[in-house]
Amino acid sequence: MQEDKPVTISVKDLDLWYGATRALNKINLDIESRSITALIGPSGCGKSTFLRTLNRMNDLIDGVRIEGSVRYDGRDIYAPETDVIDLRKQVGMVFQKPNPFPMSVYDNIAYGPRVHGIQDRSVLDEIVERSLVQAALLEEVKDRLHKSALGLSGGQQQRLCIARVLAVEPDVVLMDEPTSALDPISTAKIETLLEDLKKRYTIIIVTHNMQQAGRVSDKAAFFLTGDLVEYSTTKDLFFNPKDERTENYISGRFG
Amino acid sequence: MRSEGSAASRKHTASVRSQAAAFFVIRALSVFTILILASILSFVLWKGLRYSNLYRSEYMPIEESSPGGMAIVVNVEQDMESLDWTTLYGMFTDEYINWAKIDGSDYDLQPVAVDPVSSEGTAAEAFLFGSPEAGGVPLWGDLVRTAGSVEEALNIVSSTIGAVAVVPAEAVLSRQGVKTVPLRRVVLAVNPGVTEFVENDQIRDLTRSETREVAEGKVGSWKAFNGPDIPVVNLAPPPGSDLDRLLRESGYTVAGEPAADTAGYVRALSETGGAAGYLFGLERNLAGLPALVQSGRDTGWNLTLRYLVEAPRLSGRVGGISTIILNTVFMLILTVLFAAPVGIAAAVYMVEYARQGRLLRILRLGTETLAGIPSILFGLFGFIFFVSVLKFGFGLLSGSLTLTLMILPTIVRTSEEALKSVSRALREGSLALGASKLQTIGKVVIPAAIPGILTGVILAVGRAVGETAALLFTMGSDYQLAKGLFSSSRALASHVYLLFAEGISFDRAFATATVLVVVVLVFNFTARSLIRRMNRNRSA
Repeated sequence: MQEDKPVTISVKDLDLWYGATRALNKINLDIESRSITALIGPSGCGKSTFLRTLNRMNDLIDGVRIEGSVRYDGRDIYAPETDVIDLRKQVGMVFQKPNPFPMSVYDNIAYGPRVHGIQDRSVLDEIVERSLVQAALLEEVKDRLHKSALGLSGGQQQRLCIARVLAVEPDVVLMDEPTSALDPISTAKIETLLEDLKKRYTIIIVTHNMQQAGRVSDKAAFFLTGDLVEYSTTKDLFFNPKDERTENYISGRFG
Repeated sequence: MRSEGSAASRKHTASVRSQAAAFFVIRALSVFTILILASILSFVLWKGLRYSNLYRSEYMPIEESSPGGMAIVVNVEQDMESLDWTTLYGMFTDEYINWAKIDGSDYDLQPVAVDPVSSEGTAAEAFLFGSPEAGGVPLWGDLVRTAGSVEEALNIVSSTIGAVAVVPAEAVLSRQGVKTVPLRRVVLAVNPGVTEFVENDQIRDLTRSETREVAEGKVGSWKAFNGPDIPVVNLAPPPGSDLDRLLRESGYTVAGEPAADTAGYVRALSETGGAAGYLFGLERNLAGLPALVQSGRDTGWNLTLRYLVEAPRLSGRVGGISTIILNTVFMLILTVLFAAPVGIAAAVYMVEYARQGRLLRILRLGTETLAGIPSILFGLFGFIFFVSVLKFGFGLLSGSLTLTLMILPTIVRTSEEALKSVSRALREGSLALGASKLQTIGKVVIPAAIPGILTGVILAVGRAVGETAALLFTMGSDYQLAKGLFSSSRALASHVYLLFAEGISFDRAFATATVLVVVVLVFNFTARSLIRRMNRNRSA
């Protein structure tokens, strides 16, 4: 049934170096659309680095070199003619720590649409409301839309960041350990939200939390020291690991 | 075991004791430093708020509003507290042409005399120059304007600021537009022998109380005041005379035998060796007698509202500093307008765009060095480049541009630090939404760094407002209100410097310095509250 879903992102023979250090080895991975893919693995295994190659956030770091191809919608995103701004509009990202801008809740969400040229107040109002509804935040912030976003709780801030990404109407949402800085209740809210978002967006989530990966993802990829060790449906990966290293990690022998 | 334990505890006590001593020294030093700084600041503020001036005058502090039945009237706008007889005499004998040396205002002096053919005119003439029978000679100056009647004289005074007239006291009683100035006209006249030089020494200035002690007969010999070794002979004015009555009313007691009449009194003063007695200025003049000079200190408010709102005149000797305050504000606005955009842009370039390498390190070292260069060097450069080469001349523009160069390094360095401290997460958050680098910098990074940038700008402005060396040869020193960008003008700090350097007035220099201190404090507090409010908006 899952094989029916079309492929959104296709990664072939991806190598990545930080200077002389090789951080990713020949990664081959196809991401299916309208599903949640979890990237798991111990710290420093390259899963976050991999995630950041998908919207070219690694461009910002000096000395990063990439080989191989990453195709999004059939186009190579590392081709010279690719518009990075356009790519990031399509492939949004939520970070590990909530990073709302030091401005009002409303302005935070309207930031993306504004930089992409939407100035009409009524259109912006609509986008802000829709994004807040999608991020399940509207009820909590509707009375303080024009107050600073820094006054929200950590969980609310993270959902605001999600709403901020959704406001740009992306196709893919990358999430880099989005709940690692949050308490269990906020985490649960975001996990519920993910279930909902999956219907409209392709989600790739990096997580340290095995239970979370098991709960929310459809497919899972296990990374270890820059290698993609195993990639299959979450069920198979957790209950039928083919590789010994995967089994050891899952059963908690290391990591 | 036991001895070991006590040794350890002794060691412990010793270390506690040395720690306490170190603590005490540190505390004492810091308290000492703060005390020194506080006393310097309070000294400047105190000197700025209160003046304490030397006075030197022959006249006793006895003020009469209708001396001899006459009144000295000036225009009601004239700001005068009192006048002494010598000054009054000088006003009618062309000694003065304006009021600057009399009360500090710059009105032209217009003495008005009632025509001496009338009885009022004769009375005024006798009051100023003495009656003909007493040997008085009218010496009216050329400036004096003659009025036909008392009424006409008062009309002239009420319509002309700077006019002065001597009229009968009853004529002024319910008169609008003029006011009476009290006159001081009592001196302690002495026999000419008293003020003669003896072995290169002359009688010194007395204090007011010493003068009174002499008149009260409490001093035996003039030698007590560095004078000749002659006993003091006290003479008293004739009982029932104007002088006698005035002295009694004012609580002055006089030793010595009273004279029979005024003529005899004056004659006794000029003929008796070592004689001393109170006398009116007019009689003293007619007899040509010396009088004892009194000196001491007058204190009062130095920094007044008038000083703040009046324009300076006569090199700042009189008037206030309003134009100078305004010039300072113009200068600071121009400087910030030039320096802030350029400085912030340079900082943005250095943090966000420039390749972090050797070149940038050299650039940074350069800005740091520039920040520490003495301001006179910027003044020299500004003089050569802006004033001469670009032909901007002495003026606001040259001055502000020189200050801009001077404070740019500070603004660049502080803005750089502020921009660097904006977290990477904010930048990435913006970029991940598809914002371009320029949009990220303009909409997220700079707004987040604004408190830090503002702090830097305020610090730099604080340096600019206290600058003199860089401005003297670029902005000029005209104390009038600047008429344009190329108009030579003077800022507060330069004004303080010039008041000192040209020896114009220490009091005024301190008053200006106080204003300068207050301006700097106001700047700092507004900046702080601005930044605090911004931070509150961000976090709430």
